[in-house]
Amino acid sequence: MNPRTRHALEFILDNLVWFMLIFVLLVFSAVIPNYLQLGIFANIIEASSVLGVMSIGLALVIIAGHMDLSVESVAALSAMAVGILFCSSGIGIGVQLHPEWLMVPASLLLALAVGGIIGALNGFLVVKVRMSAFIITLASYIWVRGLVLVISGGRSAQDLAPAIRWFAIQRLAGLPLTAWIAIACFVVFSLIMAKTPFGRHLVMIGGNETATFRAGIRVNRNLVIAFVLAGAIAGLAGWLLAIRTSGATANLGVGLLFNAFAAVVIGGVSLKGGVGTLPGVYAGVLLLSAINTAINLMGLPANFTQVIHGLLVLAAVLLDAFKQTIRQRLA
Amino acid sequence: MTEPLLVLDNIAKNYGAIEALKGVSFSIDRGEVVALLGDNGAGKSTLVNIIAGGLEPTSGRMLFEGKEFLAKTPAEAKAAGIETVYQDLSLCTNVDVVANFFMGREITRKVLGVPVLDERAMEQVVERALASAGTRIPSLRTNVEHLSGGQRQAIELNRFVHWGGKLVLLDEPFAALGVEQTRRGLDMIRQVASQGIGVIVITHIMQQAFQVADRIVVIRQGVVAGDIARSKTSPDAVVKMITGETLVGAGPAG
Repeated sequence: MNPRTRHALEFILDNLVWFMLIFVLLVFSAVIPNYLQLGIFANIIEASSVLGVMSIGLALVIIAGHMDLSVESVAALSAMAVGILFCSSGIGIGVQLHPEWLMVPASLLLALAVGGIIGALNGFLVVKVRMSAFIITLASYIWVRGLVLVISGGRSAQDLAPAIRWFAIQRLAGLPLTAWIAIACFVVFSLIMAKTPFGRHLVMIGGNETATFRAGIRVNRNLVIAFVLAGAIAGLAGWLLAIRTSGATANLGVGLLFNAFAAVVIGGVSLKGGVGTLPGVYAGVLLLSAINTAINLMGLPANFTQVIHGLLVLAAVLLDAFKQTIRQRLA
Repeated sequence: MTEPLLVLDNIAKNYGAIEALKGVSFSIDRGEVVALLGDNGAGKSTLVNIIAGGLEPTSGRMLFEGKEFLAKTPAEAKAAGIETVYQDLSLCTNVDVVANFFMGREITRKVLGVPVLDERAMEQVVERALASAGTRIPSLRTNVEHLSGGQRQAIELNRFVHWGGKLVLLDEPFAALGVEQTRRGLDMIRQVASQGIGVIVITHIMQQAFQVADRIVVIRQGVVAGDIARSKTSPDAVVKMITGETLVGAGPAG
């Protein structure tokens, strides 16, 4: 194989998800009536903001060679904390701050802190107790969701303070601010991963943890930071979720984990660690969202969504394995 | 500066009931090349790991530049000026040559107060380092997974030559190298030593040891079975020390 074909093939493999996204959008636009509209595309981006933000955190830890199954429950807990404090009906206690805009940073900080603390706990257990991240975060996935049920008593909070709701209503260039927040997160974290020593170290830790330790990189510190970031980002996703639904229910966000997982894997992040970029993950998120929108437009019963998502996860993992075989051929 | 660079004093290491090292003592001077020889399982790699901060000894002490020294992590050893090339290569194959060369020591510039990788500066340094060592790698931006075993080992060797430090530990550095590359690797060792850096090189190959070392230290069953200047011994004698047929030239008393 000459170097040029090899280069082209690698380029395609590296950006496979973007090609898939374009392909899927073209097919849907051609086949489904009313799909080809700016409003539909805006809707795809808008609908993917919560999932997108959550996927960033998940991708960080997977790239570093670990796993965080707790992001969905963490988002729900953050949303519930914001809901209880800043909603005025249901179980919301309707805390008022003056001036009103102060509620925005207050609720945001609360959501980030809730997520960050659980992330720190996950990271500590993984690094210090040396237990498998899969098991530890699976436990967190369960007990954090349990905590949401406990503090809400299974009930919900409604009518989020208008000052916070503003982010879902105010639009900029056709997209609500919540969508812009998600896009901004992708830009910032993509830059961190690609351009800073911290991002570089996470990728290398995911590739060969022993080598990075021997090279004097503070592996444990970096891993804990990655888990804290994943938690805090999940908290941000919860904040966006609360804004989008104007409150919080006990089962808020159930199933998001698997969508995030699908998005991350479809986006080209290898579950073995060390491989993957955040722009790819964003394409994965958009791809899922594009498919959801298609399902809605075709008038398929919503129950189909879950079947299709399940198959997508399967397809993504198979694709990951397939890509690895091709890469080995190339090497 | 008459004191030795590194002194090992009765270093022992147990894994449970197994005594990997029973009490190893020797020293190395600045600019000296010591070949560490011994049969499989003699404890050579364990010893290197202890000096490099990857393992803690069960007992014994080390003096580095005359001061009590014990690295708890490789980072501490590195900060003290000890570079290590491990037997199983320490490269991240999922990133490119430049990233591996600078692993943990990236050149950065500040953008709005945030450290940002200075890829161009790093690439230039790597290019110069590899060129001066005569190593040819098609593209510095290819991931290491696409490189051959010899090229990978060359990256590691160039890395230690470039970073230097005060003491270099090489654990079977030439296992994947061809004849020509090995010769160049041995030259590199002499060149590094001539800068006043101490070099401890583990090898299985007697010929290499006699080509490069000033002194030969033989470890057998966790103790020093021989510590002798190269000029005062012969490959045959060293083989006998390794297999335990003779105790001639046994380690320094005490």
